[in-house]
Amino acid sequence: MTSSLVAFIARRVAAALVLVAVVSTAAFVLTHLAPGGPLTDVLIDGGDKVTVAKKWERLGLDRPLVTQLGDWVGGLARFDLGRSFEYDAPVAPIAREKAANTARLAAVALAIALIGLPVGVLTGARPDGWLSAVITPIAVALVSCPPIIGALGLLWLAVSTGWFSIAPGSLGVPSLALALPLAATLERLQSQATAEALRAPDVMAAAARGLSPQRVLWRHAAPQSLRPVLGIAGVLIGSLFSGSLAVEVVTGWPGLGQLMYGALAGRDVFLVAGCALVGAVVLAAGNLVADIVRALVDPRTRLA
Amino acid sequence: MASFHAEPTTFDRLVASRAAEQRITLLTQASLLRVNPVSHQVEPRLATAWTSSPDKLTWTLKLRDGVLFSDGVPFTAADVVFTFDALYDSRLASDMASGYLIRGKPLVVRAIDDRTVMLTFPSPYGPGIRILDGLPILPRHKLAAALAAGTLRESWGRSTPPSDVVGLGPFVLAGNTPGQALRFTRNPHYWGTDDRGRALPYLDEVDIEIVPNQDAEMLRLESGDLDVTNDFIRPEDVATLRSLASQGIVTLAEAGVGLDPSALWFDLAPQSKVAKDRPWLQREEFRQAISLAVDRQAMVDSVYLGLAVPIAGPVTPGFDDWYSADVAVPVRDLARAKALLALAGLTDRHGDGILDDPAGKSVHFTVLTQKGRTDRERTASLLAAQLKAVGIDVDVVALDTNALVGHLTADDYDAIYFGAQTSSIDPADLPQFWLSGGSFHLWDLHEADKPATAWEAQIDDLWQRQAASTDDAERHRIFATIQQVFADHLPALYFAAPKVTVAFGSRVHGVRPSVLQPPVLWNVDSLSVTPRVAGR
Amino acid sequence: MTRVGLGILALVATFAAAAPVLAPNDPATPFLNRAYAPPTRIHLRDLDGWHTPFIYRQVLADRVLSRYVDDTSTRVPLQWWRDGRLFGVGTDGGPMLVLGADPLGRDIFSRLLFGARLSLGVTALGAAGALMIGAVVGALAGVAGGWLEAVLMWIADFMLVLPAVYLLLVLRAMMPLSLGWTTIFALMAVLFAAAGWPQVARGVRGIVSTERTRDYAQAARAIGAGPFRLVGHLLPAASGFLAVELVLLVPAMLVAEATLSYLGLGFPAERPSWGTMLQDTANVRLLADAPWLLAPAALLFIVVLGLQLVLGARSERTHLKAASRS
Repeated sequence: MTSSLVAFIARRVAAALVLVAVVSTAAFVLTHLAPGGPLTDVLIDGGDKVTVAKKWERLGLDRPLVTQLGDWVGGLARFDLGRSFEYDAPVAPIAREKAANTARLAAVALAIALIGLPVGVLTGARPDGWLSAVITPIAVALVSCPPIIGALGLLWLAVSTGWFSIAPGSLGVPSLALALPLAATLERLQSQATAEALRAPDVMAAAARGLSPQRVLWRHAAPQSLRPVLGIAGVLIGSLFSGSLAVEVVTGWPGLGQLMYGALAGRDVFLVAGCALVGAVVLAAGNLVADIVRALVDPRTRLA
Repeated sequence: MASFHAEPTTFDRLVASRAAEQRITLLTQASLLRVNPVSHQVEPRLATAWTSSPDKLTWTLKLRDGVLFSDGVPFTAADVVFTFDALYDSRLASDMASGYLIRGKPLVVRAIDDRTVMLTFPSPYGPGIRILDGLPILPRHKLAAALAAGTLRESWGRSTPPSDVVGLGPFVLAGNTPGQALRFTRNPHYWGTDDRGRALPYLDEVDIEIVPNQDAEMLRLESGDLDVTNDFIRPEDVATLRSLASQGIVTLAEAGVGLDPSALWFDLAPQSKVAKDRPWLQREEFRQAISLAVDRQAMVDSVYLGLAVPIAGPVTPGFDDWYSADVAVPVRDLARAKALLALAGLTDRHGDGILDDPAGKSVHFTVLTQKGRTDRERTASLLAAQLKAVGIDVDVVALDTNALVGHLTADDYDAIYFGAQTSSIDPADLPQFWLSGGSFHLWDLHEADKPATAWEAQIDDLWQRQAASTDDAERHRIFATIQQVFADHLPALYFAAPKVTVAFGSRVHGVRPSVLQPPVLWNVDSLSVTPRVAGR
Repeated sequence: MTRVGLGILALVATFAAAAPVLAPNDPATPFLNRAYAPPTRIHLRDLDGWHTPFIYRQVLADRVLSRYVDDTSTRVPLQWWRDGRLFGVGTDGGPMLVLGADPLGRDIFSRLLFGARLSLGVTALGAAGALMIGAVVGALAGVAGGWLEAVLMWIADFMLVLPAVYLLLVLRAMMPLSLGWTTIFALMAVLFAAAGWPQVARGVRGIVSTERTRDYAQAARAIGAGPFRLVGHLLPAASGFLAVELVLLVPAMLVAEATLSYLGLGFPAERPSWGTMLQDTANVRLLADAPWLLAPAALLFIVVLGLQLVLGARSERTHLKAASRS
């Protein structure tokens, strides 16, 4: 690996760490500042004020914010993310498990969405063909279908026709809700990129050399056209993550988004901070991978 | 296969007594006696007979013979004494302790011999021996060391090996997957038998799955994956469930009128913000007017699809003979409502259809309610729409439970529409609600023990009298008076009490649905299932 | 295609603006015995022949199953220009429910129209805010250069990497939850602007720093134009970008409002907005029998589609590129 690549990676890793630190600390502090407090359900179950006060004391909630934050940050070094009030269990395993679920959902959605790339190559190569005429309106329609809307629509479809299961653990509806708009976006981007790549000098040269149109398309134009798509990989990962929250809540998929929403609602400070931390780590890792791939493919970006 | 919404944090109900722990206790532990939630009669469990002294302060209970814990160790009176020691232990700081203090003093329990226990109340207590319902008798041989060392709170936590959770209940813990499921198998040493002398429980195994919300439970019930839930059916699910019932997949059973009507109350604390800015919000005429302005029947029809009864106070017909039918349910009377509002100084001074206070500001308040409970959200919405007719402008904000209770405890609200689960029909079990100093005295949480109004003092006094009276008829009479005082001064308004229906898989038999929680599992030792057809 | 898109948007905007006139009913009124009622069908003809448009009164047949039948004994003609409303039906014939009723018996069509005002309004305000803040920050960064540019862009980059919805969720959740709807409107607009400015700033900075090197800009500096005047000269170059950015931000913010309100962190539940109306779809089972509850979702789709058509293919890629970290 060249030194510029190493330096690039080092910079990106540092940025990722800063991101993770800021996000989780902010989440911790913000949740603390929010009105309402944890353990109020004890009151509802008929416990009295003394019992609640004792519990607060036991869980260390009556100490000043800075102390609590300090303790928590210290715990991070040991991978101890504190304890959730709601679940009365350590945060780390809970957050890890749910994050894994979200990652699974995102991975499946991404895998399904990748179909957009080859389709985009084909429609880009022949923008006036029948495939383009059929695909383009569908793609435009799907791009207009943000994951939350898609999820609702698919749920209705599932309930009316029974084609998919709507049970909270099933992948069908949530993954499609995320995958369809993403596939459409990829298709459109790839389509334009391919059309442009086909006009690039080296590709035209390849065509002039007498290579078959298929080879020109798949061996020369397509790889080049991937670059712009890779370029926005970071943004796509972010939007996948964002979209997953709404989809998880709507379909009941037991992932990080749902956990975080529940934790916020319950003012479960450690759980919120833990979720934010895990989420930030996942996001930072995803962006890092995307950046490294980009840097490997396109040396020009290593300067950034 | 049953489901809980949340997993228990411990297997010892003394440590934490939320819904999950209470239900686990039904499975793995037993109490000395039980108050049957359907017939409301006291039934012998571990105690077979009891007598009391004439002043009803001292009770002698005879314990059942030949009872063994699930690990084979014999059950004796020492275990009962131990349980009470643990209950009152200051290091354990049991959540249940406050329910077993009579005017702040504990009960005294002595073992007379291996089979006899003597219980002494510090002062007269109305419900008497019923206090023992729900108190699990813990194994001394397993937990005494922990109690002495002060580590009882940590024993029997979630990661306890199943074989350590020993009890007198119909089942034993067999497996535990944290956050997901619990498995219970038959306790071979269980003491219970049915009328024909056959050993209970009928079931060999009970699996508990943690399912976070009712929508998910419904789906599982439908597919046959789940047999029993602990929720009552929501009105919007009735149609679906009726069709499932006609297909023979589930059975629907009516349990009666529910016990937990939701209440609308205003912040009546004398020192709150509301008292300064909008004193009319705390006036009795205001509340009376609202009670007359709402259309309770519309709420019954719209929100509960007709499956409810209009009510006037916190006590519903589901409370059996504690319910006083003499308290009238107000009939909608807009004219009188407007007159009462005028008495409170609220008239339409600007001619815009909204009433104004003497300072000329519009009459407006915000109702907080519980997000996720569609019946509460919808009732609050209807309320807002109905109050428009008398010129009151209302905003409804739905918050999650924690935030809601946060506002409640911080005295930071105008009005709240909410409710909590009642655990018993006996008013002596609910001091937190009725007494001025109670932690659930919703409209004025921080009142401490000195009542702010004369009628609250009156209710306090009446309540103490019925709690201390051992004459059942007198207790009922006093409580009827309490309900009337409540209706006269309306610290909280009630609109409708749903008629409760329970749904469970059709292969479950022996179900006697109750309006108290848990509706189906309370007699889990008498439930049975027809075996599944293979391949289903 | 662009014109079709513009047409769609114009139509929706008109509907929203004209809500008080177009809505046949008051959006907040819960009609008795109309929970989950299906859309009222408009008929032109019956056994007696052709008539002016009329409806039949809906009668509740089964409350629990929410089944309705039409009372075909009397024709209830549509009335025009009643009480300042374009069309409607007298009180005897029952409410006119163009798109059916929600679980409390409120007219979905009317709520959709009034809800459009809130949803589109907060989105427009938020987008405008994001554009303004982004333009100023980006231009400043582009003109100033040096450490200021580095810091500003670093902040923007940082915020771009955060998943927007999570950010909004946490920010909104930390505010007191029981606020009046006007406060929530303002709050959401501010939050949207705060979430949207980074991508605008990036693009504007790129354009401005390129423009800065051009002749006319050099000339302006030569005659002593200060940084702010310079910005005033250079900003018009970014107008194309800003226009497209607007079109990109709006769908994201519409979805954000829908998500936040669906989660209960947006507008109060009984204020109709597209997001709060979507809360009624939570019970999935009922959707099969009452698909009209999905109306706000459909409308959201239509608006985003219109925007997509206006945007066209090419510009989208440019903007995604500008928004990314390269």
